[in-house]
Amino acid sequence: MGSRLSNIILLLTLAALFFFPRFVASPYAFHIMILLFLSTIVGTSWNIIGGYTGQYSIGHAAYFGTGAYVTMVLMKDKQIPPWLGVWAGVALVIIIALVIGSICFRLRGPYFVLASIAVAEIMRLSAMNLKELTNGAEGILATELPAFRIGGRVITDFVSKTPFYYISLVLAIVTIVVAFLVLHSKLGYCFQAIREDQDAAHALGINPTFYKNAALVISAIFTGIAGGFYAIYVGFVDPATVMSLDISVQIVLVCIIGGIGTIYGPLIGSILIVPITEALRSNLIAEAIFKTGMVSQESHFGSFLKENLAHAHALIYGILVVLVILFMPEGVVGFQRKLWSKWNKGLG
Amino acid sequence: MPSGMTVFFQAVLSGVLIGGIYALIGIGMSIIFGVMRIINFAHGDILMLGMYLSYYLFALAGIDPFVSVLIIIPIMFAFGALLQKVFINRMLDALPQNQLLLTIGLGLIMSNAMMLAFTSDYKILTTSYSSASVTLAGISISEPLAISFLITAGITALLYWFLTRTDTGQAIRATAQDAQAAQLMGINVKRMGMIAFGIGGALAATAGALISPTYYIYPQVGSAFTLKAFVITVMGGMGSVVGATIGGIIIGGTESVSSVCISSGWKDVVVFAVFLLVLLFKPAGLMGKSRM
Repeated sequence: MGSRLSNIILLLTLAALFFFPRFVASPYAFHIMILLFLSTIVGTSWNIIGGYTGQYSIGHAAYFGTGAYVTMVLMKDKQIPPWLGVWAGVALVIIIALVIGSICFRLRGPYFVLASIAVAEIMRLSAMNLKELTNGAEGILATELPAFRIGGRVITDFVSKTPFYYISLVLAIVTIVVAFLVLHSKLGYCFQAIREDQDAAHALGINPTFYKNAALVISAIFTGIAGGFYAIYVGFVDPATVMSLDISVQIVLVCIIGGIGTIYGPLIGSILIVPITEALRSNLIAEAIFKTGMVSQESHFGSFLKENLAHAHALIYGILVVLVILFMPEGVVGFQRKLWSKWNKGLG
Repeated sequence: MPSGMTVFFQAVLSGVLIGGIYALIGIGMSIIFGVMRIINFAHGDILMLGMYLSYYLFALAGIDPFVSVLIIIPIMFAFGALLQKVFINRMLDALPQNQLLLTIGLGLIMSNAMMLAFTSDYKILTTSYSSASVTLAGISISEPLAISFLITAGITALLYWFLTRTDTGQAIRATAQDAQAAQLMGINVKRMGMIAFGIGGALAATAGALISPTYYIYPQVGSAFTLKAFVITVMGGMGSVVGATIGGIIIGGTESVSSVCISSGWKDVVVFAVFLLVLLFKPAGLMGKSRM
């Protein structure tokens, strides 16, 4: 693809995304878009440590959950507005990332994966048990947000979804730009050298521990911010929704499906996954099946679909991952690149 | 009022009994890792399938969970071997990360398919002896736990005999030691993989059936056991059957004692902390060498 053409497409997409709220009024469409951006943010930030540096952390829920909990607790208990509280969350996330890094980066391959899971589970169980701070398994519910003012003037009161849409859009763009800049800097080259061959990189004077920690911290910061945003957007945090192993796994799967170690991979993965899972979750798929008339809503099978399909939204993750791993191990983006180069060769 | 010492011994004993079942889960994962060098993330989900099989065999056919093990073992052996043939065998030369993700995907499909079929409601299998206990020297022991420990011990002994005394068992161990050399000696490595995954699946499902009278049964129950299986396997040294047995009993004991001495909410934190310490200071496992 010519770079000018792709630049034009990129600009048009961005413009369309910025004007989206002017033409679409459905809160449901907003909700899907916000979740899509959120998934892109966490996927892109995981990609920095997992995709570029080759360290498969399956414990990113630790950072997501920490960001979410700190923002929420500070807002509820200390009346600190979330746009300030989230930075306290980021500070804590950095500390946690450095602690986790100093433990887990002594290990390689599958041992590193298991250690990252163990640390995240310890964090989740702590959130369950430190009841005075986190309210345990019941979670924390925020009923209303303080209005965002600059110099006494109310910019937004967060009643509609529009401010959330723009915040998540800007965050997604910033995360992708940072990931792009990192990938094309000396830092990024060191990350990739470690991914390709840690011992060779070490022999060339690249300190693997330092660069792995750097990648983890960058990755954790954005995951933590996304966690803080999620907590405020949903208005609720509990260990199961922000700290569970499922969260860590979903973050990885979005990247795997889209294409690991590529800039657009997490975005593509999110576009493929988020709308389908959300449609399943809110029973849109079941309703669409009824509309085609293949299955009647009153039939036995119809009521079965209506009751159960919404619970099984993660099924789509499972099926997509198995298909992608077996048939296009470099993800959709890698697969498309391969097709593209074959096509070009065919022309030449 | 039982004295502190009795409570402690009781905790140790019930920890050892539950540890026997953990050992069964760990051994399965260890054999799979030993032969294929694959960490099976779907292990707990296979255990969950065993729980459901046992539940429905009991609810529909009235077969006691301890008897239904005899039916579950061949079914789940075939299921494991099939997973290996259809999915894992295609991935033997792939990146370890991708193998791991494949098993994550398979686990997600299993748990969500079960959720689709049976909803996420908790099911409880109540037998006449579910809450029965026997008292021995002032220490009371849960009856289903005691029976399942005996069954576990029997299966482990049988497995040990199979691996050390039969031709197939020795071929499996040879594959685990060096797959290439084993292949050069005329061992069908892919076939050994199928048998290993079959055994692993059967063991996990057996563990599921054995705990079905004492645990809640629901589609998401697997991941907690997958995590325990990792901990046990790594502690015992990946690929070691004896190590996994000891690891299982240590984990069961640690859990039980820390839930009495600290609190049941923090018991898993203790287990994971122990796990991290082992990873950091004895990454080859407590037994030292990672061999079967």
